[in-house]
Amino acid sequence: MTMQTHIKTFAPARPIWCAGCGDFAVQGVLEKSLHKMGIPPHKLMMLAGIGCSGTIQNNLPCYGYHALHGRVLPAAIGAKLANPDLTVIAAGGDGDGYAIGAGHLVHTFRSNPSIIYIVMNNSNYGLTKGQVSPTSPTGYRDNAESGLDSILMGLSFPSATFLARGFSGNPEQLERLMEAALDHTESKRGFAFLEVLSPCVTYYDTHREWRAKVYNIDEEEGYDPTDRGMAFQRSLKLKEQGRIPIGRIFKGEHASLESLILNKTELPPAQHKVGRDEHREQYEKFIDSYMG
Amino acid sequence: MSSNNGRPILEDVNVIVAGQGGDGSLTVITMLAELLRTNGLNVYTERDVLSRIRGGHAAATMRAFAGDRYCIGSNINLMVALDEEAVEKNARQLDSKSIVVYDDSGGPIPPVLPEGTKVYSAPFNRIAMRTMRRELYKNSIAFGVVGRLLGLEDESLRETFIKHFQRMGQVILEYNLEALGLGFHLADEMGIHEGEGLYKIKKTAPEKRLLITGNESVAFGFMVAGGRFFCGYPITPSSEVLETLQKWLPRCGGVARQTEDELAGINMAIGAALTGTRAMVATSGPGFSLMQEGVGHCGSGEIPLVIVDCQRSGPSTGMPTKPEQSDLNLMVFGGHGDFPRIVLTPGHPDECFYLTVDATNLADKYQCPVFLAMDQALSQNIATVEPFNLDGVSAVPGKRVEAGDIEKLGVYKRYEFTEDNVSAFAAPGTPGGLSLVTGNEHNEWGLVSTDPVNRVKMMNKRMGKIEVAKKELPRGRHFGDPDAKIGFIGIGSLFGVILEAMEDLKKEGVKTQYLQPRTIWPVLEDILAFIDKCSRVYVVELNAQAQLAHILIHQGADPGKIVNILRFDGIPYRPAELVKSVIQAENGSKIKKGKKEAKLQ
Repeated sequence: MTMQTHIKTFAPARPIWCAGCGDFAVQGVLEKSLHKMGIPPHKLMMLAGIGCSGTIQNNLPCYGYHALHGRVLPAAIGAKLANPDLTVIAAGGDGDGYAIGAGHLVHTFRSNPSIIYIVMNNSNYGLTKGQVSPTSPTGYRDNAESGLDSILMGLSFPSATFLARGFSGNPEQLERLMEAALDHTESKRGFAFLEVLSPCVTYYDTHREWRAKVYNIDEEEGYDPTDRGMAFQRSLKLKEQGRIPIGRIFKGEHASLESLILNKTELPPAQHKVGRDEHREQYEKFIDSYMG
Repeated sequence: MSSNNGRPILEDVNVIVAGQGGDGSLTVITMLAELLRTNGLNVYTERDVLSRIRGGHAAATMRAFAGDRYCIGSNINLMVALDEEAVEKNARQLDSKSIVVYDDSGGPIPPVLPEGTKVYSAPFNRIAMRTMRRELYKNSIAFGVVGRLLGLEDESLRETFIKHFQRMGQVILEYNLEALGLGFHLADEMGIHEGEGLYKIKKTAPEKRLLITGNESVAFGFMVAGGRFFCGYPITPSSEVLETLQKWLPRCGGVARQTEDELAGINMAIGAALTGTRAMVATSGPGFSLMQEGVGHCGSGEIPLVIVDCQRSGPSTGMPTKPEQSDLNLMVFGGHGDFPRIVLTPGHPDECFYLTVDATNLADKYQCPVFLAMDQALSQNIATVEPFNLDGVSAVPGKRVEAGDIEKLGVYKRYEFTEDNVSAFAAPGTPGGLSLVTGNEHNEWGLVSTDPVNRVKMMNKRMGKIEVAKKELPRGRHFGDPDAKIGFIGIGSLFGVILEAMEDLKKEGVKTQYLQPRTIWPVLEDILAFIDKCSRVYVVELNAQAQLAHILIHQGADPGKIVNILRFDGIPYRPAELVKSVIQAENGSKIKKGKKEAKLQ
């Protein structure tokens, strides 16, 4: 970390977001949490999708990657499996994650890699001027479809381990959730899914509406986030009542992908030194097995 | 061929076993191949199946030979036909000297055989049903007859059965041995007694050879080149690359993932590549189409990746189990925008190993997508090859910087402009080397930029890498008479067919030479020079649009010298068919003297 001070690398960019955009809160909270958790910039791999939120990696000192539209999760999983010593954070918007990339979210819930996925949900396509997104409510710009609830979707996976929703208008809680997410992945417990309600002030300003609708489930007496049934029931009930639950909605236990598939007697893939013939014995075994 | 007691020594034989999918044609061929290999012969096998598990015409062909052959021969010497369709579908490969063993349970042999073909008929299916209560055993009965015909000893056939069926349990082994015994009995009835077969088997100690497919060789090449991260999605005919690496890569500390689709496949491999891990994906046409966006992204973001395309008949879902070479345009020109790439073209399973090592090194060195253009036959046919020379290959690290280097430099730019256009790579986790990687146009720091001056410089940097790479890309291999006027160019599984067609043409007094390209993009000088020195070059391809010829013409080859020989019916070429095409074209070109334009069939 000390090295960063005198080595010149890219100068983190100024955010391109509109004044008042919810994404500022996400970045602020993320920077604070990374600092608090003592994660040095060179250990952080920040992958982002396409959209307004998909520029967050440019604004932080880190190893940053700008993924193809919708493909941030597979890229993040590849990076984590290749080098589990990195703190891998994927970030993107609701279009990137729930429309073009929805298939990958399903399979990331299934596989439970120890990465964080922050979805900055603004319920529209801000970067392309406000088109309907998968979380837009029925009626928004003549939207005929109903909105997708990613937390309810996540709850249906037995392998889900961390489901949370924050609100940019509640940065204190968002900070707690971000820290919990980092703690979850740093302790190798699997996939930390954090959706942040992050209003788009330019095309679909939901700030006031969401402030009225959010319901802080962390403060609900008797709510047990380890009880999947309760998490389902409360989320559905609140939805019926026109409320949006925010907080640590579900905590589960499941082996992480990297703990299941990496060969524990070997260095992780990224740490193999190319050109050092350390696996010659296996190569010879391979040849022998085809000798017949 | 030398003879002994009137029977020739087995030096080159082609055997086909054909029936319905699930009849066990492949089992018979596999066992024969194993057995003949232990007698010192080399083998090459081919399968012809439909994209389904049971039913439909299915055939397996084997060639056993002394010396070097790289394809199935022109004529089938021995055919085992388990039904009528098997005869009808494969009669074209027979000649007057062929022998047919026919299962007449379903009716008499259809009258499609060349005159002189000797037929041994027996109701294998009915015998299996009557005696064993399972038609499944008909191939084991047939194996007894075929083994006798080939001149193999009963005992060696029995031993092969034990070796093959033992792992399936004692009961299955015993039933199969009983069926084999029935086969011997049947052979006796037909007058084919032990030791009185067609050939005399010269028992020599087997050479040290591997029996391997192109796909397995690709998987191994990647491993040996330090490849440690692979992603794939099951698709014919590339799945064996995934399966082989799932078995072997974890043993070397690597990861082989089956992803939810090809989009995830290429992007997960990219994620691993971003950490400095050597990564590869393998797929076939439809999956490769899905991967296009990722391919261009590797080009723009300068991300090293090996992409194996096991080509099958297209377009769309096409004919999944049939060979074709019709994705060449997609490999060479696919993806939006301009970006650098390298396309390598192995021609035989042993070359698949060596060129995959090269591909993996090149991707890392030039930080760009590198393709291996396979085809179904090259991917899945099994050949005996010399053991891979592990001391003759090496995994050469790319241009990397570690913390100490960055400390000394005091600055790190991921996309720094350099002499050779390649920027040093600092793996995430390296203190000091923070960077941004993006498919957006970017400056040296990796920050998004639309500055026109930077744009031109960056584009030239990326494309310029290929100019540098040209000096070391695999050159073509030259065969035949260097003074011959007639030339051949062909890639993939056509390699062996062209070589053998050249031998046959030579016997007919036609001298030829052959350049087997091993890099088709960029087009190297040696291919153009070869075309220049020939009067006519037959560019043989398994596609309808002469894709390879057009790529060569696009890069400066004289179209007037190129004659296209195209095949896209899904049937693999036999050398004699190619000879016929060439002789026809030669006769045609004599009539149309001086005609200069390229001929598209």
